[in-house]
Formats: sequence, C-alpha cells, structure tokens
Amino acid sequence: MSRLVLKNIVKKFENVIAVDHVSLEVEEGEFVTLLGPSGCGKTTTLRTVAGFYQPDEGEIYFNDRLMNNIPPAKRNTAMCFQSYALFPHMNVWDNIAFGLKMRKVPTEEQKKRVAEVLQMMSLAGMEKRMPSQLSGGQQQRVALARAIVTQPDILLFDEPLSNLDAKLRVQVRVEIKEMQKRLGITSLYVTHDQDEALAISDRIVVMNQGHIEQVGDPETIYLHPATSFVAGFIGLANILNGKVIARDEQRVLLELPFGTLWAFGGNLCPNVGDMVKFSFRPENLVQYREGNMNKIVTTVVHAIFMGNAVDLFLDAQGVRLRARAQNTEKFKSGDTVVFTIDEKAFQFLE
Amino acid sequence: MKEKNYSPIDYVLLIPGIGFIVVFIASSIIITITQSFGLLSVTGKSQFTIENWKAIFHDKESLDSVLFSLKMGVLSSLGTLIFAFPLALFLRKSGPGKRFLGSLIKIPQFIPALVAAFLIINLISYHGIINEALLALGIIKEPLRMLNDKFGWGVVVIQIWKNTPFVLLILSGSLASIHDDIIDAARNLGAGSFSVLFRIFIPLSMPGILISMILMFIKAFGDFAITSVAGPIYPPSIALRMRNTATLFQEWDKAAVLGVIIILTTLLITWLYSRLAEFVVGEK
Repeated sequence: MSRLVLKNIVKKFENVIAVDHVSLEVEEGEFVTLLGPSGCGKTTTLRTVAGFYQPDEGEIYFNDRLMNNIPPAKRNTAMCFQSYALFPHMNVWDNIAFGLKMRKVPTEEQKKRVAEVLQMMSLAGMEKRMPSQLSGGQQQRVALARAIVTQPDILLFDEPLSNLDAKLRVQVRVEIKEMQKRLGITSLYVTHDQDEALAISDRIVVMNQGHIEQVGDPETIYLHPATSFVAGFIGLANILNGKVIARDEQRVLLELPFGTLWAFGGNLCPNVGDMVKFSFRPENLVQYREGNMNKIVTTVVHAIFMGNAVDLFLDAQGVRLRARAQNTEKFKSGDTVVFTIDEKAFQFLE
Repeated sequence: MKEKNYSPIDYVLLIPGIGFIVVFIASSIIITITQSFGLLSVTGKSQFTIENWKAIFHDKESLDSVLFSLKMGVLSSLGTLIFAFPLALFLRKSGPGKRFLGSLIKIPQFIPALVAAFLIINLISYHGIINEALLALGIIKEPLRMLNDKFGWGVVVIQIWKNTPFVLLILSGSLASIHDDIIDAARNLGAGSFSVLFRIFIPLSMPGILISMILMFIKAFGDFAITSVAGPIYPPSIALRMRNTATLFQEWDKAAVLGVIIILTTLLITWLYSRLAEFVVGEK
C-alpha cells in the first residue's frame, strides 16, 4: 500500500495541455475519484500515474519514492480498463495469473492466490473459460481479479463500469467499493459519471480543462460546490447572477429579474453593490407557504414525469429554473407555481 | 421457411460464373493430373500409366529440385517473417518519418519478380556494390559468392526483398487488431518488452503470421523467375525443371508429374499450417 502524491503535474500532447499543474495527495487506503467531462485530463492523469505517459513537468511519488522514471512494469500499480483489456488468447486462470508469472511468484503460491481471488470475485468454476465466453460483468470481475491478485500498491480504474448496463453498473460499483475497503488498497478511480463518483469515493477531485476545480468528500462536492463548473457538472443546478443590494450580519439581499431573495452568506458574505454568482439545487425549490421569507413566482414550461419525481422546467420573469416536485403532484404547461427557497440553500460560486 | 424451387433457367444463369471456374480452373488442374498418368496427353498416345511418376521418383535430379524448392520455400518464408515482423511492430504506432518509411518499404511490391532479381544482382553479384564496398573497406580479401551460389542464398535474399512489403501488409493488419489497452495491461502487470513480444504480440498475431508464411511458401516454392536468374546452376527449382522437361525435352507428361508435385506440396503445407494455426490459436 502506498500514499500517492502528485506535484504540479503537466502533460502536453503536441500543443494541447491535457493536464495543467495538477497536485493531489491520496492517503494510504483512500479511494479517490477523478471526475470530469471527456477531455478534462482525468484519464491522462491516471495513465501518468501508471507510467504509460511521462509527465512534462512535476513529480509523482509513491510514499517518498519518486516514480517519474520508473517504467510501468516496475510501479506495482494495477489498472482496470474500460475495455477490460483481458488477454483474448488466455483463459480466465491464465489472465489472472499473468501478473504473478511476470513477478516470478512460485507456482504453488500462484495457484493459492489465484484460487483465492476467484473465490472472492465469485468466479470459481470459470477458470478454463476464454474471455469471449464471459458476459460483460464477468469479464469486469476477471479484470478486477487480475488487478488485485498482484497485491498492488495502488489500484487504478479507468472508467471500468462504462461498458456495463445501468443495473449491473450499480451492483459492480458496490462490489468494487466493498473489495477496496476490505483490502485497503489505495485507489484512484476515473469516471465521468457523477452518481458513480458520489457513490464510490472517499474524496472526489473534479477536473475541467486539465486543472482541478475542487477536491472534497462527496457531500462537500454536492452540497457546497466551489465553482459554477462544479455546481453545473455535479447534479442539476440553477446557476444565477445577482446583485447584492443589502446585507445584515451574515445574510445578503440579492436582486434578481424576478424579485429579491435573502441568502445566507456565512463568513464569505459579499458586500453591498457586488455582482455575485450563486447556485442552488432543483430540490431546494419548495412550495411557498405564507410567512416564508423568499418567494419566487414561476410559470411551468415543461413538467416531465420521472417516476420517482416530477422534473419541472420553469420560467420566472425570463429566468429559466429547474425544480423537482413530488410524483403525486400534477402539473401542466402554463400553470403558475409559487416556490420558496431556504436562505441556506445558496452556494456562492467563484 | 418456404422451400425455393429452382427452374432450369436459374441454372442456366449460373453458367457464366460456374462455367468459368470449370473451364479455366478445374479443367486445367484435372488435365495436369490426368496427363501425369498418361491420360488426355497432348503428346503421344493417351494411355494410363504410372511410368512417369516412377521415372520422376527414381530420378535423383528431380528429387534434388524438389528438395531445393522446399528449402527455398521454407527459408524465404521464415526469412521474410524475420524481416517483416519487427518492421510491422515498429510501424504499428505512428511517429515521425514512419509514414515515409512505410511508403518506401512498399515499393518492391510494385516491381515484378524478374525485374527485382536483376535489381538485386547489382547489389550482390561477384562484382556488385556490396562486394566492392566490403573489399574497399578491407573487410574481405576476395569477393563473396552471393549470386548463383550453390546453396541458393541469392534467391532467398531476393525473395525477402521482394516479399517483405506483402508480408508486412498482412502482419500490420494482424498487429493493428491488437488493442492498445491489452499491451498496456500487460505492461501494467509487470511484463517487460520481451514478455510483451512473446506473450502478447506473437500469439495474438499468429493467424497473420501463419497465413503470410503459407502464401510466402507457395510463392517461393513454385518460383520460376528469381531462381532462373539468381539460383544455382544445379539443381534448378522444381518450376524451372518443369519448364525444361516440357519445352527442352518435350516430355510433357513428366512435366505434369512435377506440376502435380508442386500443387500437392503446397496443399500439404497449407493443411499443415492450418492445423498448426488451430493448435496455436486454439479454435477452429
């Protein structure tokens, strides 16, 4: 097991900067996810850790050991690929034993360790099958087994679940998380799927255009996004601009096209006259009751029944808003609905 | 599903296709085989006999030719593989200058074998460029005999030169079908370059390797042009002997026996390779 430290990593491809001064520390046994849209540099960062790419600048440490010039074969990382990357000409057993053979582990121990992971991954009895004879979920488990059997210092995951169907994806991500906790292997996981990141991670690193936008545990990332990119990328968010027209101790009064709203500013409370950018979640908009401080009058543009909720597309004096309502309520286009929002639901963005 | 009834007109419509195969391909092979047994002979009278076969098998010179051509087939196919495989690996990933190199290598493919033979003669003949250069550098005292040598190295060199692009093409296809992730996975699991080559690249491109070996063997085993220019004085290749037997000695039926031997050998080798492929690839 290792602690992973990235210091100011820069990776360029010709003139494109794929990774732009990324610094990150992953503690021993921690599960950290790099989350971002395609092209944000998350996979490049991961592959740099694996040693497939050389960083143009910066340093990679496993514990205190500088890894920049260590070839991939000597890094003792294990990677799970999006394509699984099973060796098509080897059966399940030989696929899993490959890393042990390369490390010249004695045959007897190879047998013991492969049998162990086969059991752990519920693959017992499939040793002789070829990868082409396995389902997607089974292939993914073989890929996982092949990775953990080598007892790597760091486990690397490159969107391992994106080729699975939605139900299986949820199931396998729970398995990955449980296995990682049990074995306590430091893990770096790459995904563009925010639900997956929220469900599986100890900490999430949100990346955009090669740099890190925000690092934090899933609750912080979701409830307190630091930038409009994070607010917009993780879950749904209403991102608005407003002007501060008044303030008291910790609250500010924001002026918007559809009226004024009181927002809790905390210690970072902006000053009167400032233009501010802020966000709130669709579920923060709740039905207005007499006595509520904030009042937003909206018109329903679309109401989409989603099964567990109703997704509302609203118009408030020309400002588009999203809200979620209970699935028992009925809406139709053109209805006027009045919402309120708690003053603490606002996130001020950089 | 409803059974389809074919009318006589349907069969008539097949004649241009099947007729071509029967008239030009099957008939010529069948006539070669029957001629070797003295039937449908173009010279002399037509009568079943195994004398031609006996004569060829008792003729040491014919056997020498068969062995020589076998040797050329095996060495040329292996030699071409040894040249083309590293090249195909090197050209697998794009890089500076590789496109140019890739195009340059394809040139021999557009040059007919006979022309290729004459081109290479300039390089490897007794007073060719290589010998003169080695002499000038003082590496050798007298010129090396690389052309029309008794063993046939000259032929092998020209075969390799001529056919590397063709084999490269097949191998490149095989190697291109290996996903980069698989190579990365192997390296990630601790495989060095040597292990990646022998455990990943070679086994996964084995179908391409085998098919290019078969095609190369067939070309080199039945070769006429290159051996006639660069081959040893004795023995001639089996194709060369076949031509001599037919046109110089006017023994068409014996030439047919040699023709059948060429066909049967290539069939046998193809079968052996395909069995090998099944064994290596592990599926039918």
